[in-house]
Formats: sequence, structure tokens, C-alpha cells
Amino acid sequence: MAQPGQEPKRTNYPLDPHSYRILDEIGRGVSAIVYKAICDPMDSALVAIKAIDFNKSRTDFDTVRREAKTMSLLSHPNILRAHCSFMAESRLWVVMPFMSGGSLQSIMGGLYPNGLSEQCIAAVLKEVLHALCYLHGQGHLHRDIKAGNILIEVSPQSAVLLGIMNDVAFSTVFLTDSNGSVKLADFGVSASIYESNSGHGSSARRPMLTDLAGTPYWMAPEVIHSHNGYSVKADIWSFGITALELAHGRPPLSHLPPSKSLLMKMTKRFRFSDYEKTKSSSSKKFSKAFRDMVGLCLDQDPSKRPCAEKLLKHSFFKNCKGTDFLVKNVLQGLSSVEQRFRGSKLQRLASMNRSTDDDDEGDDEGFSFMKQRRISGWNFNEDGFELDPVFPTNKDEDPDIVKQVRFGGETVIQNRGGDSEASDSSSPGKVIDAQLGDQMKVCSKTGDNDGGGEAEMGGGSVGRADVVGSLLFLKKSLDDQRQSVRNMIVFLGGGESVDVNREEQLVQVIENLKGELEREKKRRFELEMELEFLKLQLSSPSE
Amino acid sequence: MKSLFKSKPKTPVDLVRQTRELLVYADLNSPDTREIKREEKMIELSKLLRELKSILYGNSETEPVSEACAQLTQEFFRENTLRLLIVCLPKLNLEARKDATQVVANLQRQQVHSRLIACDYLEKNLDLMDILVLGYENTDMALHYGAMLRECIRHQSVASKVSPSVSEKVLINLPKVTRPLYVLAGMYSFRKTEKETTPVLLLGNSDLGLNGEWMIWRLELIGVPLPLLPFRESDLMLDVFCFQFTLAADGGLCWKAAGYVLESEHVKKFFDYIQLPNFDIAADAAATFKELMTRHKSTVAEFLTKNYDWFFAEFNTKLLESTNYITRRQAIKLLGDMLLDRSNSGVMTRYVSSRDNLRILMNLLRESSKSIQIEAFHVFKLFAANQHKPPDIVSILLANRSKLLRLFADFKTDKEDEQFEADKALVVKEIAALETQDQP
Repeated sequence: MAQPGQEPKRTNYPLDPHSYRILDEIGRGVSAIVYKAICDPMDSALVAIKAIDFNKSRTDFDTVRREAKTMSLLSHPNILRAHCSFMAESRLWVVMPFMSGGSLQSIMGGLYPNGLSEQCIAAVLKEVLHALCYLHGQGHLHRDIKAGNILIEVSPQSAVLLGIMNDVAFSTVFLTDSNGSVKLADFGVSASIYESNSGHGSSARRPMLTDLAGTPYWMAPEVIHSHNGYSVKADIWSFGITALELAHGRPPLSHLPPSKSLLMKMTKRFRFSDYEKTKSSSSKKFSKAFRDMVGLCLDQDPSKRPCAEKLLKHSFFKNCKGTDFLVKNVLQGLSSVEQRFRGSKLQRLASMNRSTDDDDEGDDEGFSFMKQRRISGWNFNEDGFELDPVFPTNKDEDPDIVKQVRFGGETVIQNRGGDSEASDSSSPGKVIDAQLGDQMKVCSKTGDNDGGGEAEMGGGSVGRADVVGSLLFLKKSLDDQRQSVRNMIVFLGGGESVDVNREEQLVQVIENLKGELEREKKRRFELEMELEFLKLQLSSPSE
Repeated sequence: MKSLFKSKPKTPVDLVRQTRELLVYADLNSPDTREIKREEKMIELSKLLRELKSILYGNSETEPVSEACAQLTQEFFRENTLRLLIVCLPKLNLEARKDATQVVANLQRQQVHSRLIACDYLEKNLDLMDILVLGYENTDMALHYGAMLRECIRHQSVASKVSPSVSEKVLINLPKVTRPLYVLAGMYSFRKTEKETTPVLLLGNSDLGLNGEWMIWRLELIGVPLPLLPFRESDLMLDVFCFQFTLAADGGLCWKAAGYVLESEHVKKFFDYIQLPNFDIAADAAATFKELMTRHKSTVAEFLTKNYDWFFAEFNTKLLESTNYITRRQAIKLLGDMLLDRSNSGVMTRYVSSRDNLRILMNLLRESSKSIQIEAFHVFKLFAANQHKPPDIVSILLANRSKLLRLFADFKTDKEDEQFEADKALVVKEIAALETQDQP
């Protein structure tokens, strides 16, 4: 395995958008979209481009600047590094290697809804620990460790055989031996503890961060109590939660809305053993070593949690399989990253109509939130809470519920605001930024304002739309499969490499046109509004 | 075998000395030495730098020990280790460069006998700043040199060169709800690490994140906070919580490094560095430029007054009228920060009397980007609120009166912002009142 830091040279990827051909969308966040693209001048290398829109009000320039800096200064085989980043109009393009396996979360979502085998988990987590050792040694926290941020790289050869890649220029010679390599991604909320504490003093003390970031389910208790300050051990907690996520297909407490998950941890009612109990129905048995390892990570006291280096020596990681094991055993039958992304969109739509909250995406906080509120009410009060922090006026169906639903994250914060411990060091705006900055999930949310509104409107007639949607998805998936079979034939030297892509191109064109139509409609609406407004203006001074 | 003879731990002074020796070696780069030997030495150097870092920052097991830090710092600046390190930085590998950068950053804040000796050293070696600034032209070095540069120009000394009698009143703008929280947070975390009992306040500039670049001031609180003192002239519309501070009796700012960069020809280069195609480098240069232009108030005010003509000509054409979206956006924000600072009130008055400037600002108001519009408004309001508007400014405002009023009627921030609304109302009132002035 390559040594860290042996690669000080930058790769010379072109710094203009015209050198990249965008193939598909593979992820979407509030102010960022992730594309799969080809870089022609670099021998048609596949890349993932994260396009962050600075025009979206929530994009904090300084956060992005730090992220970009972090990403270009880290160099480790288990950390996803950016090739380059540059501005394209009002968007920042961060060009990264394309990870054809996608995130573990999306892999589980497609094939292993109930989690991975222990062998696989050990193989993955060992790699993640290597990344954490490096990061922590550098004074960086990742702060958002979860399956959604663990990406798998699959060599193109394997990818073709697995059928998860279907539009690659196969003439390219790939010199990669990184089959199955595991990479930690998304530094959207990662921070440097060296940088954060630029305080002077006779000596620089151990830095502690005091702002809130990350995704609720994975967050360590002290992060929630963030006025106490927290350190690299918060990542270890998230690492433990991620282990559970991989074992069960979803993070613990994810059947609760995020704010409750927070609350549970805050009040220390959450124990690993509790989790085991609630899950005991799912017939899965885990080894002693595994349970012990997770238990160590999930100690309420950060100082008692082991550091990453120590964890690596844990017996759970002994005799751990190599990463090619993952490719052979985990990725069989997986759909392509872009298919999974489309699928997740549809799933989300479908899940809205279901009464039980089975959707396993932490990102769906908004929707599950409303349901939870109605269904499970406030059982929590029975457990002796004085504060009712999530909805202070929750007895009534207050009219602003829609707003709260839309910004699940914000509500979480509101509850903190009401917390009696007012020495809270995080400012609400900041936290929201951090959560929303969480943009690179391969399986993603469309939770920006527009998306939220749309989805709600769609809610009424989901039944039919749902079915049609699923069928369309199926059709698309079949098309993709056909495409990949063709590619395989071509790859194996079979005949006609004619313009097989035509159909796909047409589909692309249609989609583009649809988008344009939407934009036009929106513009028309805006213009109409403006006209109205002008009329109003005209009439008022003339009186 | 080595582990059998555990050498006794090296002292910080030893470590610095060895580092220096190896740096001298690396600097000479004598061609006759064999490649393998050279490589060995470079690996050794990397290890030493890592050890220095762990003394200064501590590691997963130990907290930093102030005595060791002080010894290290003293030895480091006793000779020219910093210069050697800066010069040899390109010869190190990525990890060693990062370690070196963190070591240098930390050393800027180390006090020995309550003196910042880094500050003393820099004042005698100001030409090092040239190397650091020009680092932006080297893609591989830019982020490392940039980080060092920012530390050098930002740091302030407690035992300082500034005469202790200087009592500077610092006004801090803390608009709206989040700011007091930030300050509280800063106080809290700082108190925890600082043994002294002197009241210490950390101030986050409104646009700076909580993590990173805090503006840290060691100030003695002398007055009771005077809340909500609205300024009529320069700070006119900001909802300010006005605190009065003076610098602590022994305090002051080490402004020489920043002053040197400002006075050098290099400051012009930043207009280009900010627009470099590599985003991470351009953004780093922008952060440094901002630091230069906002950190040391009096130095900046002096610089802007002396260099007004060329500086704002460049600022307007290269930055505010750049074709690059992010450049315009950062520039307009920085301009607002600069002009709204009390210490720059003279410069502000001059700026808002120019019709060319007004034209540029009005163009920015028309941008499709909301963020640029809002920032442009914060500068535009100064033109409108100026009580001594030159006639040509008045005539431009009059000619565009209806357009402006229409624009402002529809002008909103994403989040509700009372202060913004109040500012807007004031500007609208000013512009509407212009006509009556015109037709007496």
C-alpha cells in the first residue's frame, strides 16, 4: 500500500469546464450536485465533479475554502482526494476520481438492506481506520463518518464484469490496482483542529472544537453537548455508529426522527445494549469481538474511547480480508452509481405514502419527521424529560409545521436553542450550514426549498405516480442493463460497436429539454409576478 | 536492535539544533553526496519536524508542556532556523511541508518571558515575507507559504513594540443575534485554556467561521458595554453593540510584518493571485488579502490614505469589474468591510464621492446573484446616506431614482433581517427626498 505523503505533485487536470463531458447526475445536495463526467484531455478518465453553487445562500465561502484546502493537502490511499478545483461561473467544480462502486450506504440500500457480513464490515472498517489514523495525526477531524461517506473504488475491468459501469471508453488503458479500495470522502464538514484554535497563549493547548456539525444519527453525545468541546474521539463514536449501520443496514435510532436521536444520546439513555435488544428480532448474531469493538467506540466518555491506532489492533481486525474480497462478495449484482441515485429518488417519493417509516436514509429526515410527530407523539416525556424541546407548542397542529418539516435540521437546532444550558456555543445558522453543507452523498436528498415543496405537492397522488415512477425506473434500469451487455460484448471483442448510445443520447436530450421547460415556466411565473407588481406600483402613485 | 538501547529522549533544544543542521545540509544540496544518503537525511528531517510539531501541539497522549515549547521557540529563533525552513520547504515532501507549516504557525504565538520572539525575529527578517508572498506563484507551495504568511501578518504581540501608552479605542461591530453567542463561545473556550485572569475577548468577524480565523484580541475591558449606539456618519446603519476597549497596558499589535507587505510592491500581485484558476490557491490568496486589508486597523488606514488612487483604481477594474463571479463577490464583501470600518472613515468619504465608484456599485446592484446584490447594497447605502453628496452623485441618483426605488421595493434578504430593512428604508427615504432638494 502506498505510503501517505509520497505524492506531493499535483495531477494536472485541466482547470476549465470545457475539458469535461458530463455524463450523468449521481448525487444532489442542497447547494451541490455531483456529476459523473469524462475528462477528455486526461485520456478520457472518469471523474466525479461536485458542483457547489455559491449563489445558494447557504453556501458559506469560508467553509468551502477550508474544505478545498483540506482536500488538496491530504494524501492518503484511503482518502478521496480532489484532482483539482476551479470556478465555473458561480459554481465551484471540485474534480475527484470517480468511485464506480459508490458509497456503502447506496450499496446496502440496493443489495443488503439488513446489513453486510462481519467479514465485509471488518475489511471496510479497517481501511476507514487507516484513513482516520492519518486524518487525526494531521489534526483533522472528519466529523461526518458514516456509510454514505465511505466510497468503494472498483477497477474498470471488474466494473464491467459486475455490470455497474456501462458508458466507459474502454479503449483507455487503466493502470489501477486499486480494486475494491475504500476511501473516506466528503470533507464538507470536516475541520482542522489546528486551524480552529488559532488562539495565542504561552503554549497552544489541546485544541477543542465547539461547533456542531455532522449528521444527527452518527453524532457523538459530546458533539451534541458541544459547549464542552470535543476532539478526535467524536469521530470514533461516529465510527462505532457506522459499524452498527453496516451491520444492520441503518444507523441505530434511525427509526426515530433525528432530533430524538439527538435527545436520546444527550440523556444517555442510549446504550449499545439497548440497541441490541430492540434489534434482537432480526436473528443476526454478531461475534464477541465485533460487539466489544463497537462497545469501546460508543463509550459515553470520550476519553475512554480508544484512538484509531489502538482500534486497528483490536482482535476484530485480525485476519481481516483484503479489499478485493469486497469486490468479489459485496458488489455482485449491483447497479451503477447513477442508477442507484435515480432509484433512491423514486424510493423517496414512494416512501412518502407509506405509513410505516421504513426508509432508511438519514437524509430523509424531513419526511419521516412529520410522520413521526403524528404517530409517535411524545412518548419521550414519560421518560422524565422536563424539556420538550422539539416542538414547544406541539399540542396543536401549528401551521408552521410545514416549515419545520422542510428543515429537519433547523428544528433540531431550535430545540437546542430552548435548552436551558444556554452557554451553547454554536450559532444556529452555522449548524444548519454545516448540515446542509453535507453535500456529497451519493444517495442524496433533494431537500432544498424547491425540492421540498415539490415533493409535498406530489404527496397527494402518490399512489399512481408512484407506480408509474417505479415502472419508468424499471424501464430505465432495463435499458441500462442492455447497454451494459452491449458494452461487455464490445469489451470482449464482439462485433458492432456502432452508435449504440443513440437512444441514450435522445433520452438525455429529452431530459434536458424538460429541465429547460421547467426553467422557462418558472421564469414566466416570475415575470408575471413582476408585472403584477409594476401594475400595483403604477396604480398607487396615480391616486 | 535499536529498541534495546533506548536513547534518552532528546531535548527540544537538541531537536531544533539537529533540524537546523539538516536544513543547512538540504539547503546546500551539494551534488557530490550520494542520492541515498541524501534521501536518508531528508527522512530524518521529516521525522524531526514531526517531533517538533508534537512538542508544540501535543499528541494523542500528551498535552503540550509550556516549558518545552518555550525552549524550542527560543532555540528556533536564536539562529536563522525559520529562514532555512522557509527556503528549504520546496525540498520537503508533502507531509513534512504540512508539519513545517504548522510548526511555523504555532511559533508565531509562542511567548517566551511574555515576549513574542517570533515577532522580533520577523522584524529583523522582513524579506522573508517576500518569499512567502511570491509562494502564490508556485502551485505546489502556495497553500503552505500562504498559511505561513497569514500567520505572520496576523499575529499580535502581548509584549509589543507599540508603545504601552498607546490606548486605542476599538469599536467592534456585532450585528444581530448570533454575534453575542460567538463572543461568549470565544470567551468560554479561551478562558479554559488561559490561566491568566485578564478579561479576554475573542471576536469573530461577522463573516468568519467559528472554526478558523478568529480575530483574537487581548483586550482589557474598561467600560460597561454601551448597547445600541447608532452611528450617524460612517457606520451609519449598522446595528452595533458598541463596546469600548483599550489595549491592555502591555499590549499592542505586531504590525510590522503586515505593514511591510502592504508597503512592498507585492501587494499589487494579490489582485492577480485572487484570480488564479486553481480555486484553493485563489481562495487562500483572497483570505490573506482580506487579512492584510482588515487586520491592523491603523496600518491599513494609513496605507489606504496614502495609496488611495492606484489602489481603488485596481480594486475597481480588476476585482469589482472582474468577469469572474467569485472575485466580484469577494471583492464587494471586502470593500464593504473596509469602508464600514471606523478607522477608514476618511477613505470611505472619499470613495463615496466618486461617480465612477457609484456607477460600478450600481452595476453590482443589478447582478443576478443575490449575495452580490446584498453586499453591493451595503456599500451603496453609504453613497445614499452621505450627507454631503457631490452634485454629480446627486444627479446620477436622481436620474436613476425610479429604477432604484423599484429595485429596492423588491429587495429582500433570504432570512428576515430587521437591520437590513431599516437600512433599506433609510436609503429609500434619502433617494426619495432628493427630488424635493432639487426643486426648491
